[in-house]
Amino acid sequence: LTAEQVFVQYAPRVYNLARRMLGNATDAEDVTQEVFLQVVRKLPTFRGEAAFPTWLYRVTVNAALAYRRHRAVRAAHHVRDPLEDFLESGQHRAPVRRWVAAPEKAALDRETHQLIEDAIARLPDIYRDVYVLADVEELPNAQVAELLGLSVAAAKSRLHRARLLLRAALAPHFEERAA
Amino acid sequence: MMTCRELAEILLDFVTGELPPELCRRLEQHLRLCSACSAYLDSYRTTTALPRWLPPAPLPPRLTTRLRMILDLECRVRDDRAEGGGGGEPAA
Repeated sequence: LTAEQVFVQYAPRVYNLARRMLGNATDAEDVTQEVFLQVVRKLPTFRGEAAFPTWLYRVTVNAALAYRRHRAVRAAHHVRDPLEDFLESGQHRAPVRRWVAAPEKAALDRETHQLIEDAIARLPDIYRDVYVLADVEELPNAQVAELLGLSVAAAKSRLHRARLLLRAALAPHFEERAA
Repeated sequence: MMTCRELAEILLDFVTGELPPELCRRLEQHLRLCSACSAYLDSYRTTTALPRWLPPAPLPPRLTTRLRMILDLECRVRDDRAEGGGGGEPAA
């Protein structure tokens, strides 16, 4: 694997992972540059091409988490539990309507892409990290947990809450209109 | 009977087929009787699939330029080292 190949094949993947983890394109540019520099410098000593994507995930996730930790201003915000959307009796707090015909790849227009990207970006950090790695990057739960330093059970719990929050955020746009 | 909230709590294991059979049976029983939860489950499944259909963003031109510069610089440093005999010392 050459540095040129890393640039062509992997830089866009690093950038998109960082962009979604950080919810910000400018921050993602800084992280991508840092990851690229680290990777290119260590490449001559790296052995085992098959393990390269796994290593790259680790470097990228660590860089994104470190970047976030060092960001000067961090707004502390309450992390809402999506299971609060249920009454004490256990029923849904608000009516649940079916979504319009399942939005499929071909049917997603640019506006809808942006809607989904914005909803992902608004997820609380602890849920967004897991969601991006598990559902966007499609990594197995064990690898997600390992990358984030969580137990598998904690990673699954966060993933589930991320999905519930995202579902709630997207529902107003995809639900069928009441008759 | 299982409540809607109890059902929502275990959806992840249900959609991945990891739910114990007895809980699975109770959940399916609830789904047959509750149209709200049936709709909720469908939209949960869609939510898990949606991001796979998102196109990747292209590298911004400014970032491409920055990465190209790093690439050129690192290649030059490596070439200089190689010309210096690989001992890590700068060429005389």
